[in-house]
Amino acid sequence: MTQKLLKLSGIGESRLHLAWLSSAEAQRFVDISSAVIEDIKAQGKFDSKLFSLELAAAEETLKAETLRWMVGKEVKLLARGDVYGRKWEKARFEAILDEVLEREYHKQLIRQAILADFTSVRAISQRIGLGLKRISYLLADMEKTNMIEFKGHTECVPVFGAL
Amino acid sequence: MEQVEPKIVAFLCNWCAYAGADLAGVSRLQHPSNMRTVRVMCSGRVDPLFIVQALKSGCDGVLVAG
Repeated sequence: MTQKLLKLSGIGESRLHLAWLSSAEAQRFVDISSAVIEDIKAQGKFDSKLFSLELAAAEETLKAETLRWMVGKEVKLLARGDVYGRKWEKARFEAILDEVLEREYHKQLIRQAILADFTSVRAISQRIGLGLKRISYLLADMEKTNMIEFKGHTECVPVFGAL
Repeated sequence: MEQVEPKIVAFLCNWCAYAGADLAGVSRLQHPSNMRTVRVMCSGRVDPLFIVQALKSGCDGVLVAG
């Protein structure tokens, strides 16, 4: 899931490597770490200042209640079933988790953009690359949950502020 | 232009991956030194937040081995 989030944010899922290692596999540790180092070297230096907005949004996304709740419930939903007694399939769960992840991440990205002084929908769209319609849709959701507020108009353009 | 060595944060689980790395050291196997290891008691302890915070603090990549 974290790799998907990194991919979504443009940071790149291959900045994170996962490996299974046992305590007897010393040579494998050397092989794995060399392979990871070569891979990261080929990707080049990671500029955290360039991605500061995306990193902040990713951090807030991972703190989001919905996401943490869903991940925590995975085992129960797949093994014992939901409150209606229906067992979920892994593919369906993953599809919904992907949707929730993307939505939460986009909301947090919009909020970070507003904090960084991109306060109109067009400015936000230019900074983060999301469509105007998607941003407006998510802004409505964010207003309901008190993440942002509508601050009025400057030159006939609606302006938003983060809460 | 000389390539800068990448900094990689490795979260290693104490019983498995860290012991494996320790064995590699004891057996004098040559391995590159760009790994900054963080020993955790279980790889399940690694919260996704750790990974983002590692990237924020300037590393170029993260390895989680369990």
